Amino acid sequence: MDDQALSALLRDLESDRVERKASNSDGKKIRQAICAFANDLPNHKQPGVLFIGVNDDGTCANLRITDDLLLNLSSIRSEGKILPFPVLQVNKRVIDDCEMAVIIVEPSDAPPVRFDGRTYIRVGPRRAIATPEEERRLNEKRRARDLPFDLRPFVSATIKDLNLEGFQREYLASALAPDVLEENQRSIEQKLISLRFMTPEPSAYPTSLGILVAGKDPRQFVPGFYIQFVRFDGVDLTAPIRDQKDISGSLMDLLRYMDEVLQANISTATDIKTQSVEIQQPDYPITALQQLVRNAVMHRSYEETHAPVRVYWFQDRIEIQSPGGLFGQVNRRNFGQGVTDYRNPHLAEAMKNLGYVQRFGIGIPTAQKELKKNGNPPAEFIIEDSYILVMVRRKQ
Amino acid sequence: MSAPIIAFFNNKGGVGKTSLVYHLAWMYFDLGLRVLAADLDPQANLTSAFLDEDRLEQVWEEEQGFNTVFRCVRPLLRGIGDLANPELESIDDGLNLLIGDLQLSGFEDELSSQWPDCLDGKERAFRVISAFWRLLSKASASSKADIVLIDLGPNLGAINRAALISADYVVVPLSPDLFSLQGLKNLGPTLRRWREEWKERIPKNPAPDLMLPAGNMQPIGYVILQHGVRFDRPVKAFQRWVERIPNVYHSDVVYTENDNVIDLSKDSSRLALIKHYQSLMPMAQASRKPIFHLKPADGAIGAHVAAVQNVYWDFRELAQKIAIRVGVDIPSTERQK
Repeated sequence: MDDQALSALLRDLESDRVERKASNSDGKKIRQAICAFANDLPNHKQPGVLFIGVNDDGTCANLRITDDLLLNLSSIRSEGKILPFPVLQVNKRVIDDCEMAVIIVEPSDAPPVRFDGRTYIRVGPRRAIATPEEERRLNEKRRARDLPFDLRPFVSATIKDLNLEGFQREYLASALAPDVLEENQRSIEQKLISLRFMTPEPSAYPTSLGILVAGKDPRQFVPGFYIQFVRFDGVDLTAPIRDQKDISGSLMDLLRYMDEVLQANISTATDIKTQSVEIQQPDYPITALQQLVRNAVMHRSYEETHAPVRVYWFQDRIEIQSPGGLFGQVNRRNFGQGVTDYRNPHLAEAMKNLGYVQRFGIGIPTAQKELKKNGNPPAEFIIEDSYILVMVRRKQ
Repeated sequence: MSAPIIAFFNNKGGVGKTSLVYHLAWMYFDLGLRVLAADLDPQANLTSAFLDEDRLEQVWEEEQGFNTVFRCVRPLLRGIGDLANPELESIDDGLNLLIGDLQLSGFEDELSSQWPDCLDGKERAFRVISAFWRLLSKASASSKADIVLIDLGPNLGAINRAALISADYVVVPLSPDLFSLQGLKNLGPTLRRWREEWKERIPKNPAPDLMLPAGNMQPIGYVILQHGVRFDRPVKAFQRWVERIPNVYHSDVVYTENDNVIDLSKDSSRLALIKHYQSLMPMAQASRKPIFHLKPADGAIGAHVAAVQNVYWDFRELAQKIAIRVGVDIPSTERQK
């Protein structure tokens, strides 16, 4: 948007595409507004704009727009409180001699968008939480254009292929705020649709997301959705195999079981000789391995290949292989530097809801930090066109 | 209208007080308030609930580190100046912690000896005794808090006296046993004595520019926590203590002239009976989250999910009750009917 368009919006005190905030002190209200603009219930099909540093009546609040303030606003996208990821730009602008931060929020392709498990919407001057009826309208706005893989429908699947009990018991409570859950008088099908596990009615097919997160047997539909774990008694693929498992099932089962397998395979040596207190030293830090394996499950390609995520555990190292190369704006130069993109944005949302992701974009830095703390060499990444290999070396 | 300061206090330790403050702080944050949690317990348990060891090491070990509660009062203790400005730890956007410090116990003697000096109208005595309140006021203003919760150690010492005269309200966490009941019997009279002694001192303040706390410390009720219940005693005994709490609370803490036995379930001073959440508490501590934020990845699966929801509602109800009594409005998100 150019300055002229922004300036016109800034002066338009009636528009429901605009919010003004005198400062950035009320983070929650700002996030609610972003969430409401992303939902675009009135169906403007145009971005909503937040002006930070402007009073309600449109006058200048003379707020100093520092780099810290802009950084703090930009981090809203990756902190994972607003899901699925909002598309937003944060800029510093000077309009009519007034310095301000401008947040431009694009309408989401896949509403309803939620902040802290609640769907915020804007109707005229009022911001509120969507009623069931409004949520249904949001579902129907979901665009069927070039959807990411995880929202595409499986025409051959039906609601019977989903584990409804597990979905109700575990996923719903993780994705929605308790008070929203409490008044949720919707049918199970409506709930599945509003969480993007099924396409909007009338067709109502399970989406890839639904199959992966809550499917009874996801591999029927997505053959590569499993983790192959092999432990070798040696340093290469020809060494004798000590243990081998194919870890499969729905996302919830897969990640939980993987955590247990990692935990069981880490050996912790206890050193009682060098100091008066015993020091426990695992050969690998569990947090780093969890981050790297979860990363592979989240970012891998499920369409181009039927290969599993591979975790090969050798005597001197662990190799984690993730099918599919780099995606979107991530390239070899900026990989692991905080630039992120999502091949499967809604799967990422589900992992955040279930608590497997704390915030987005910190998986690799966290893994490196934990490796360093534990005394392991840093993880090495070998990036190919069709797969990414992570190598973690054992503590010496 | 500055944010109300609520102290959580019981002179009997181990009742689960710190965990109560921790959970309420998160709950008020979830409900949309700006929260300041202050750790005035020299054991600093609230601080260690919020911060992991790495962060604690940074904060406590580096001499040029953060201004913990002790570092704020240190200039006053050394006699080289007044309070330093508090640096708050931002736990989340709108949830701030005034970091506790084990060295705070070094302030105890000074607070103890300055208390009588207030009667002689010595300015320094008033500066020392009002230090906590002035510190909390600064921190509350700088963090734009809507509500301030303070965690205190379980004793009737000078630190707690100074902390309590800073409080507008007091909530008493209890465990249903003989110890808590006995504790109530000296907690009540002590609170009352401190309040009276402080009121007697206020007019003797020689410095007109030195603001002092009013020292209201109004008791607003008690919370019965089951965490501390020992299961090697019969349940019946536990029930017996629960039934006796209301009368002791009313006669020794609130001083209502009332000979009637109060029916526990109708006692308006009972803010909540918080159940023992068995395995959820260690799970929450391991994940550094309040129980109601636990996710399947933290191990809250199957039957735990429903339990986590129940904890949310328990704490939400308690938070709302306390908010009403201290006159804080909880923002509600408008819904269409």
